[in-house]
Amino acid sequence: MSMRANLLRLAGLLKALGFRGRSIVIGVPLWWLVLFFLIPFLVVAKISFSEAIIARPPYSSLIEWSGDGVMLIKLEFSNYAYLLEDSLYVSAFLSSLKIAFFSTVIVLLVAYPMAYRIARASEGARNILLMLVILPFWTSFLLRVYAWIGLLKTKGIVNNLLMSLGITSEPIVMMQTNFAVYLGIVYTYLPFMVLPLFTTLVKLDSSILEASSDLGARPMTTFFKITLPLSVPGIVAGSMLVFIPVIGEFVIPALLGGPDTLMIGKVLWNEFFSNRDWPVASAVAMVLLVLLVIPIMLLRNAQTASSEASS
Amino acid sequence: MENKQTIATGAKPWLDQSEAPFIRISDLTKKFGEFTAVDNVSLEIYRGELFCLLGGSGCGKSTLLRMLAGLETPTSGRIEIDGQDVANVPAFGRPTNMMFQSYALFPHMSVEKNVAYGLKRDGIAKPEIADRVAEMLKLVQLDGFARRKPDQLSGGQRQRVALARSLIKRPKLLLLDEPLGALDKKLREETQFELINIQESLGVTFIVVTHDQEEAMTLSSRIGVMDEGRIVQVGEPREIYEFPHSRFVADFIGSVNILEGRVSEDAQDYVRIRCEEADCNIHVSHGVSCSENQKLWFALRPEKISLTRQRPEGDFNVIKGVVDEIAYLGNLSVYRVALENGKILRVTKSNLDRHSDDAITWNETVHLSWDDNSGVILVQ
Repeated sequence: MSMRANLLRLAGLLKALGFRGRSIVIGVPLWWLVLFFLIPFLVVAKISFSEAIIARPPYSSLIEWSGDGVMLIKLEFSNYAYLLEDSLYVSAFLSSLKIAFFSTVIVLLVAYPMAYRIARASEGARNILLMLVILPFWTSFLLRVYAWIGLLKTKGIVNNLLMSLGITSEPIVMMQTNFAVYLGIVYTYLPFMVLPLFTTLVKLDSSILEASSDLGARPMTTFFKITLPLSVPGIVAGSMLVFIPVIGEFVIPALLGGPDTLMIGKVLWNEFFSNRDWPVASAVAMVLLVLLVIPIMLLRNAQTASSEASS
Repeated sequence: MENKQTIATGAKPWLDQSEAPFIRISDLTKKFGEFTAVDNVSLEIYRGELFCLLGGSGCGKSTLLRMLAGLETPTSGRIEIDGQDVANVPAFGRPTNMMFQSYALFPHMSVEKNVAYGLKRDGIAKPEIADRVAEMLKLVQLDGFARRKPDQLSGGQRQRVALARSLIKRPKLLLLDEPLGALDKKLREETQFELINIQESLGVTFIVVTHDQEEAMTLSSRIGVMDEGRIVQVGEPREIYEFPHSRFVADFIGSVNILEGRVSEDAQDYVRIRCEEADCNIHVSHGVSCSENQKLWFALRPEKISLTRQRPEGDFNVIKGVVDEIAYLGNLSVYRVALENGKILRVTKSNLDRHSDDAITWNETVHLSWDDNSGVILVQ
């Protein structure tokens, strides 16, 4: 029997069992998400409604059986109430939002010219430049953040250089400041902004820019009237890729920031590992998720609406 | 083929010695690295002309156009537009506008905004912009489409937006890069005449780049044929077709039979050529500057040949062959006639008669003949 006939028989068998080619293709990622995203999410949700106890695991169970066969479900909302009571959490959220917002803006301002230049480079140079953007990913993220400590600390490379050049006489305190946190974030997240920007800018038809110039627009006008509006999809994608993870960022503020750098990721870590208060930590995680999901969904809806309107 | 009178006055300024050219291109060269795209081109174009640059792909016609627009910098040479040397004028400052082959419409702007773009850059007052845009959209028959985005338009509509956008600033010179290239045949034919009408009514000088010789013939007042970066011949469509200067031009414009031969008799008022490959003696009844036994070529258009079963009288301008293939095109039929040595000549015949009982058919032996002045002698 031929190979083809065998394959057809196999396909028929799978079909009889209820498998369709399409459902397998969609099913694999679907079950992956269910297994590694939805179930852990439900576990976290469950813990956020329980009570912290000194035990292993350190939280109470939601379901209890009373002696006479009655099932008691006990939902502890106090964890959420606590987040509002203690101003630490609200200010940590706000401070995270602020840091995420400003670092996204800075990353955008740094990345845009880079992406623009790479998109305009010749094909050979373009690959090398893209490679240079991606190259840092080949070293461990942790290692790279540690390297910044070596650069920024009081007797670090930067201060030594500045002092030997006579620019300052006293070392500048850079470590454990918000400046160091911003620097670390901008450095780390730059490729996430450069790549989507590059993808939209490289697709930009050069004859559109020439048409703008031909119609009397100076280079600056062409940039603001044509290039910038047409790269909005890249700006949105890149900003999302930076803004969302930066809100929950833990490693960078922990290593480069000081005690007054307040970020929700750090608070979460402290709740979880130092205080061993898993329920409150889970509640923080849940609130963070909801706060991030709502704007993303609104943005997506706006995008679908605008793309439907234009087609 | 009839030469179209595309200039409103019907004048031919290029024949008038006292007329100053509107565009003067002198010794213009453009090199990309080692490759010479435009090679020492000199050209004069007059006000109100619809000039076509015609040539195959890579002949440098688009590069020449882009240099006029200021989108490429010449390696050497001069461009003068209306007496002004534009060497140091950037694209955004030139009195020219261009219609791009891809149309290059701004995808994020409505039709209206696309067309208004050029006027806004000049800082013209809003009410005037609105008036002029409305007027222009009417001219290209797009009133009612003002608020659409380019991706909501058909190919023909997009083409007209591009035209409107390039005309709105009333440029002294409009450059069109394959303006009809992306349209289907029927639409292209309609649009050709529309383009001529617009050009006539606005009186703007047009330079059109095209690879389509039929389009060039229909549109232009004059054609400049380009090959390998050089202009090989400039002339009115009829001139280019009936009096080509070289085998390249004869072959590029329309269909042609080229016979190679040697001068057998060179008299004051006639020339005779012996063509060995077709076993034929050619008589041309006007003098040509050539010498005895010189090698040259005789170009003969397929429609100028008569096809008969009987050998016509006379010793000259007759070739014998066998019908190898007939292509019926409706209005005319194309005969491929094989000579004894295997060379194929093309002959076209108008299908004047609806019935074809007596028509010459496959494998018949036929005689090809032509008048003394039907062909062109080419020395290059």
